[in-house]
Amino acid sequence: MQSFWFGNISEGRCTPFTGDAATCARRVREIRTSMDVFIPPDWQQAVACGVCHDRAEYLFLLQKVCIAGSEQAVREQYAAKDVELLQMVRTLDEMDTIINVLSERVADWYQIRHPSFSLKYRRTPAHVLVKSISERNREHGGGGGALGKVATEITSLSDTRTSLARVVSGRACEVMPNTSALIGGLVAARLLSHAGGLKELSRLPASAIQVLGARTALFAHIRTHAPSPKHGIIFQHRRVHNASRDVRGKVARVLAGKLAIAARLDFYRGCAVPAFLEDAQARIDRAGTVPGEGQP
Amino acid sequence: MIRVGDVLVSKGEGGVYGERMLDGYRVWDPYRSKLAALYLLGTGIGLTPDMKVLYLGAANGTTVSHVADYVEVVYAVEFAPRPMQDLLEVARRRGNIMPILADASCPEQYAPLVETVDLIYQDVAQPDQAAIALRNCVFLKDGGNLILMLKTRSVDIRKQPEEVFRDTLDILMSAGLIITESTWLAPYHQDHAAIVCTR
Repeated sequence: MQSFWFGNISEGRCTPFTGDAATCARRVREIRTSMDVFIPPDWQQAVACGVCHDRAEYLFLLQKVCIAGSEQAVREQYAAKDVELLQMVRTLDEMDTIINVLSERVADWYQIRHPSFSLKYRRTPAHVLVKSISERNREHGGGGGALGKVATEITSLSDTRTSLARVVSGRACEVMPNTSALIGGLVAARLLSHAGGLKELSRLPASAIQVLGARTALFAHIRTHAPSPKHGIIFQHRRVHNASRDVRGKVARVLAGKLAIAARLDFYRGCAVPAFLEDAQARIDRAGTVPGEGQP
Repeated sequence: MIRVGDVLVSKGEGGVYGERMLDGYRVWDPYRSKLAALYLLGTGIGLTPDMKVLYLGAANGTTVSHVADYVEVVYAVEFAPRPMQDLLEVARRRGNIMPILADASCPEQYAPLVETVDLIYQDVAQPDQAAIALRNCVFLKDGGNLILMLKTRSVDIRKQPEEVFRDTLDILMSAGLIITESTWLAPYHQDHAAIVCTR
């Protein structure tokens, strides 16, 4: 028997399918075709089947089925929990870049306006300066001119950024509960964004997770004999960047090992596993405290 | 193939991707489409109004829309959902494009939909491009043609493009295909070659 989009054909007899394009498309996606003895469908078979009258109608109906099937498949792929998170975290990281660039520019601009002003010996980074400019702008009832307006925009953009970060972190805890518990929602989401999805992340080896986001350093190491990178994105986690230099590489390695397991738990089980988390947290803490200990 | 002066064009509704129009025809830019580059640099396979085409790696439907202007029906296979959204939009306005979201290396996914075709056009960024083409030859009629746009950098970034090119030709010939034309697509596309075969 051969199954085509318009019906089943067995021993010269054809059983047509009924139903609209969406039903038909769903059925087509369930058909399992063996390619060893496959003969492609012919439009005349469909006519004999009574599905259509001529070639034009065949193509018309087929296109409806194809479009419906592709729409279903696209919708299904987008419905996966990690797809939107991916866009959210990438937006967040790009907002960071934009806010930093604009803040630096506005600080430069402000210095031109106030020739005696300098950021040197002040503990004010550019974004704090931007905030004070925008506050002054508000106090003067918006009389700060173009500079004040830009500063206000930057401030409101960074407020949006803060609330987006909260959403990202919350969503990450839902999508990847184990990974987020180990490394925090934001960093977990960044790992996800670099890997390209939860499925992809769960299939990475621990050594790749360890240097995810350190691409330049990694290739410099492979090409020349530069020292190997010890950590990529996971450096953003406090346990890595707070560790003393001599154990930092080790903490990163142990953490990456546990993250690889966590990502697999997230992908295949999809719920938090307290026994694993407790054990993993203890293991990572041990790696960070006493040098020489914590070898597997 | 229709040309206005030296410019390759196709006849159809414009505005698909902001292409230029010339005497009412849609200009087919060789810098954007590898197939257009092939027609300008070599001979390729002339597209005729009765042709059925299986197009692997349809992407956003840019080249697909031009092919559809020439032929009877295009079965457009694309794997990624994001470009598929664009392709669906193109298909809704052209009755002869059949969009299929599937993996070109698994023909069984779209076997119930695709009839026997006169031409297979393949433009996929995968390492096993020759194998994918051979696996899809079940849809190709005897005496039908295959146009393989070989992305040498996708096959193996460490090998020389010429080496990848020779290896691919060997694989295709040992599978019983007859190579009728093979050309590099420079200056329009770097490290891309077009291979035309007959079954």
